[in-house]
Amino acid sequence: MKPPRFDYVAVRSVAEATEALAQTEDARILAGGQSLVPLMNLRLARPRLLVDVNGVRDLVGFGGRNGTLRFGAMCRHRFLETDPLVHQKAPIFAETAALIGHVHIRNRGTLGGSIAHADPVAELPALLVALDGRVIASGTGRERAIPAAELFAGPFTTSLDPTELLTAVEVPAHTDGDGGAFSEFVRRHGDFATAGVAVIVHRDASGTCESLRIAGCGLGPTPVDLSAAGEFLLGESELGDGAARELGKRVAAASDPPGDVHGSKDYRRDLAAVLAADAVRRAWQKAGAARRDPGG
Amino acid sequence: MSVAAPPRAPAQTGTRRHEDTRLLCGRGEYLGDVQRPDLKHIAILRSPLAHARIRDVDVSGAMTVPGVIGVFTGAELAADTGEFSHHLPMIPTLRQITWSVLATDKARFVGEPVAAVVADSRYIAEDALELIEVDYEELPAVSDAKAGLEAEAPLLYEDWGDNVFLYMPGAHGDVEAAFADADGELRERFTHHRVSGLPMEGHGALGEFDPSTGRLEMHVSTQVPHTLRTVISDITGLSEAKIRVVAPDMGGGFGNKAHFMREEALVAVLAMRVRHPVVWQQDRTENLLAGLHSREQVHEVEVAYRNDGRVLGLRANFVVDVGSPELYILGCAPAIVTTGVVPNCYDLQDYAFELRCVATNKCPMGGYRGYGQPQGIFLMERVLDLVGERLDIDPVTMRRRNMIPDEPRPYVTATGAVLDTGSFDEQLSELLEAADYDAACGARDEARAEGRLVGVGIAQMVEPTAPNIHALAGRFGGYEMAMLTVQPDGRVNVAVGTKSQGQGHETIYAKVAADVLGISPDDVAVSDGDTAALPYGIGTWGSRSAVMGGGAVIKAARQVRDKMAAIAAGLLEAPADQIEASDGFFRLGEAAIPFGQIAAAAYLHTFLLPPGMDPGLSVVVGYDPGNTSPFPDERGKLNVAATYSTAAAAAVVEVDPATGVVTVSDLTIVHDCGTVIDRVLLDGQIHGAVAQAVGQTFFEEIHYDENGQPQTSTLLDYMIPAFGDVVRPRIVHRETPSELIGGFRGAGEGAIIVTPAALAAAVHDALAPLGVPITQANLSPSRLRELLRAHSTA
Amino acid sequence: MTSVRFSLNGESAEVDVEPRELLLDTLRDRLAAKGAHAGCEQGACGACTVLVDGSGVRSCLMFTVQASGTEVRTIEGVGSPGALHPIQQALSQHHGLQCGFCTPGMVLTALELFETDPHPSRDRIEEWMSGNLCRCTGYVNIVSALESLAGTGEAPS
Ligand SMILES: Cc1cc2nc3c(=O)[nH]c(=O)nc-3n(C[C@H](O)[C@H](O)[C@H](O)COP(=O)(O)OP(=O)(O)OC[C@H]3O[C@@H](n4cnc5c(N)ncnc54)[C@H](O)[C@@H]3O)c2cc1C
Ligand code: FES
Ligand code: FES
Repeated sequence: MKPPRFDYVAVRSVAEATEALAQTEDARILAGGQSLVPLMNLRLARPRLLVDVNGVRDLVGFGGRNGTLRFGAMCRHRFLETDPLVHQKAPIFAETAALIGHVHIRNRGTLGGSIAHADPVAELPALLVALDGRVIASGTGRERAIPAAELFAGPFTTSLDPTELLTAVEVPAHTDGDGGAFSEFVRRHGDFATAGVAVIVHRDASGTCESLRIAGCGLGPTPVDLSAAGEFLLGESELGDGAARELGKRVAAASDPPGDVHGSKDYRRDLAAVLAADAVRRAWQKAGAARRDPGG
Repeated sequence: MSVAAPPRAPAQTGTRRHEDTRLLCGRGEYLGDVQRPDLKHIAILRSPLAHARIRDVDVSGAMTVPGVIGVFTGAELAADTGEFSHHLPMIPTLRQITWSVLATDKARFVGEPVAAVVADSRYIAEDALELIEVDYEELPAVSDAKAGLEAEAPLLYEDWGDNVFLYMPGAHGDVEAAFADADGELRERFTHHRVSGLPMEGHGALGEFDPSTGRLEMHVSTQVPHTLRTVISDITGLSEAKIRVVAPDMGGGFGNKAHFMREEALVAVLAMRVRHPVVWQQDRTENLLAGLHSREQVHEVEVAYRNDGRVLGLRANFVVDVGSPELYILGCAPAIVTTGVVPNCYDLQDYAFELRCVATNKCPMGGYRGYGQPQGIFLMERVLDLVGERLDIDPVTMRRRNMIPDEPRPYVTATGAVLDTGSFDEQLSELLEAADYDAACGARDEARAEGRLVGVGIAQMVEPTAPNIHALAGRFGGYEMAMLTVQPDGRVNVAVGTKSQGQGHETIYAKVAADVLGISPDDVAVSDGDTAALPYGIGTWGSRSAVMGGGAVIKAARQVRDKMAAIAAGLLEAPADQIEASDGFFRLGEAAIPFGQIAAAAYLHTFLLPPGMDPGLSVVVGYDPGNTSPFPDERGKLNVAATYSTAAAAAVVEVDPATGVVTVSDLTIVHDCGTVIDRVLLDGQIHGAVAQAVGQTFFEEIHYDENGQPQTSTLLDYMIPAFGDVVRPRIVHRETPSELIGGFRGAGEGAIIVTPAALAAAVHDALAPLGVPITQANLSPSRLRELLRAHSTA
Repeated sequence: MTSVRFSLNGESAEVDVEPRELLLDTLRDRLAAKGAHAGCEQGACGACTVLVDGSGVRSCLMFTVQASGTEVRTIEGVGSPGALHPIQQALSQHHGLQCGFCTPGMVLTALELFETDPHPSRDRIEEWMSGNLCRCTGYVNIVSALESLAGTGEAPS
């Protein structure tokens, strides 16, 4: 199980990367390598050129501006999981990143890589959908923003052009009254989720639910936006146990998951119901708590 | 005496086992660590189709890749190499087949080896594989045993006329009479899914051939180096005198490496062809596709019982998917064992069965820790619980009513096993006490009242150990060999024909030898797995090492000790039988001669030897307890085991009905493997076996689709338990010594045989409020949800 | 072929490799650091774990060219037969290894754990170690060994 031959270039800047991508057919970005290299070892991926962006300074870092949070594509999962500023400004990213793989996967794997890879069971793409975020893509001499809703085209497929580098991920800044939770079912600690549900709630000063977004992983061919299933909670200020379970039912009914060795379609639906109920309970409570305790 | 006692060996840095230091430092020598100058690498082209005729293999493209030494097809190699067979012409209902190191006319499963490349590196060899063009004519595939038995099923071997590889009926006692006497009958169907033993290090072999001497040296990650040498001789035509097989450190085996892989023979053949040392290391995908699979069986049973809970008679119909039959030792072997162990520790003499092993287009089935026994035990233990449920008799009473009584011993079972065990009744009592069974049942009742699905289950087993493999392999008996040499400096070398794959044999055998010789285990160096060091050996499997290897080592040590005692007796002018060996001395009352001085006398100062005694202190012994049979008798009864181990387990579980996840909150194992050599190492064996039992019950399943395409080819899809899935068993050892040398009964497998049945019983009990019976071994969350869903819609 | 230099267990190493060569193979086949094992080459077992600039990576998922200029630490740089590292000692005392194939990866992963958190709880140990598979021990004694070092479990017997 050894990878096929390829050429390799370690680039120092976004411009160098996009140039390299433009010049060679079948060139691929090498980020953390935690998805690409296994595929290459299995000879299921065979790029002609690997463009290693691990040395590109512009792709790391995290900050906020004008109500938007921006993450460099090369933010490692482990950075998201442990960085105090991320915990403070984007707690849902920290919570979600901690769910990915094992510590050594998180040491290497990146936010941009996970999103560009578009594994339908991956957490971060689902989180991006739940947050209604977008990615910034650079080609030679141009840059564009792609909203999450237009990014995921199918299993392991995005609307990124092969010559484009995903440079950053942007999501609306976390504000008072926001609460988010990511609930997933894994067979063993650190596995890919059989299914997962992210819920992002916003409650106003009186505790009334103003918005509620839901996205799932493992519940369709791409991360799926299941927000419609939660509309019945808009305007509510209490979330009873029955309502949480009702949400679970609606999410399960709205999803059309695939069946595979990790679970049948029905099994994943069963999980979706449990996970959505759990995530909405936690998100709802955090949104209320955030109100009382700004900063948390 | 002027010879000083030897200084003690340097302290082993306080490690628990002799093997620990090198393994902890990354200095173990596993197959992949064996280095040779100019080593070439083999990569194997494997069939992508489950069933296909091979019309043509074109290797011309692959030959042009720089760094490629040779590319070989099945047809080419078959022309001048020997063939594999099962060596069982005496079984008339077994299809007699032969096969080669690579597929020739047909590929019969995804992963079957079709061609091989030898190149400078594995990278290059894999590049070349991509350029081999095979013209396959795809054929419809048989994806499981049931499909294989259908009238219109595609045929793996056209000349058979069907896909039944082995048909084996058995009838013991008077089953018809038992059914006639019965108050009731139970009919049930039990299923077992396909799993893999999955040692962390896969199979692999390195071969070197010296044309000037005609010698072939093989390093193979195998549990059976000597018997493999015999097989390599079959295939290569070389005399065994010219072949050396070395099994280096091994990254596990679990029975998967007790078969003779065609790839191992392929390495030998290629080493002779290319005249370079060559190595093949099975990668994980190869391992999951074409290593070995185990356990898949379907049992249909009919049980005759009396209203007091006595099981009077049992009929069973075993249908077993053995995958491609091209595997030696044959893949039916575990299923044959299944049929034999069904009566378990119960007094059931009226038992009849039919076994059909069906060839399918899947990876060959083979041995895995437990070797067919988990399924047989599952059957009987489930039957007792299900009958008990009908009659409203609790599981403990059901077992006591059916148990084999304490007297007489030996007790001969329906299938001919000659049981020499301790008391099952006492063992069960000990289990109930250790598990605090009554309290666990009380806690379960309380949890149930709260609406929680908590369950308690028990199971028992008796395990034939140290078996005679002759009936299943057509050769290789039930014995072991060992060589023991006391060196002139008093240090001891032991070579043994078993092969440790992690069990710690270097430590164990050193201890048993040292105990006999009266010296420190640190002065005993044990080696195993080298055919050059010992005439023959049967290897490690079947919980046989302590019984057979330990017995052989003790026998050898006794012979050497007796000779040394005779030397000491001469020097002390006393009869040899009054001399004792202890603490590094041969003693007669107050007088004592250091062990090392006797050793020196035997080699360096031979004038000190009694008149007529040969110099030297070295023996080679064979040890066969002599109580096993190579063939079934005319009534089909067979005692394969030199002795029997027993175990019982109690499990407490909770089922989450929403996700199907089962949490094992408590597990107790009572275990009787006779004399315990090292409690800590033994517990380690039980921990590992429990983890594998938990794995096969809740995590692991090899999947194929209906076209025979495997769906589990990575460790992300085939899930073995990880940290966090740990179950810490409470372990109680009973020590009922056997009558064999050392009193051992054999360990290593008991916990994986008994635990799946206990877990199933506990889950069954947990689901009792829902009335969902457990008749399947696969209790993974998705399978359990399936069951619950089917039940709620039914 | 690309020339790559990095530090291996404190000594400088230089190799000429194709870009596709995995760090695991370079360490094992060119630099005699055979303690890293190939258990899957799919990133799923942790047997190939090494530390690169102090953080654990799967050497089957990293190309050697990517190690250029880094400090690589393998099991060969942890303890020696005469002077086992406390983690190695604890594993032996608690019988936390059987075949030993997974063991070097376990030791390196645990090393990073104790550098991050000297007193991990049992849950934390299990979470941190979760990417390292073992087929022999059932993990029971590995956890006990690490707990003994964390000061949260029973002392080595
Ligand atoms: C054992 C194991 C367990 C795992 N568990 C999980 C899990 O639970 N959840 C989960 O989500 N993931 C899991 N992963 C995958 C891991 O999270 C990966 O890190 C992630 O999916 C990809 O990130 P990467 O940086 O490693 O990308 P790479 O593997 O380097 O690249 C992946 C793909 O994205 C492309 N790419 C990468 N970066 C960019 C970019 N900036 N612009 C354009 N294209 C780009 C690459 O060309 C490639 O096609 C696991 C992996 C392993 C080996
Ligand atoms: S060999 Fe690298 S993770 Fe298994
Ligand atoms: S000790 Fe064998 S795999 Fe861990």
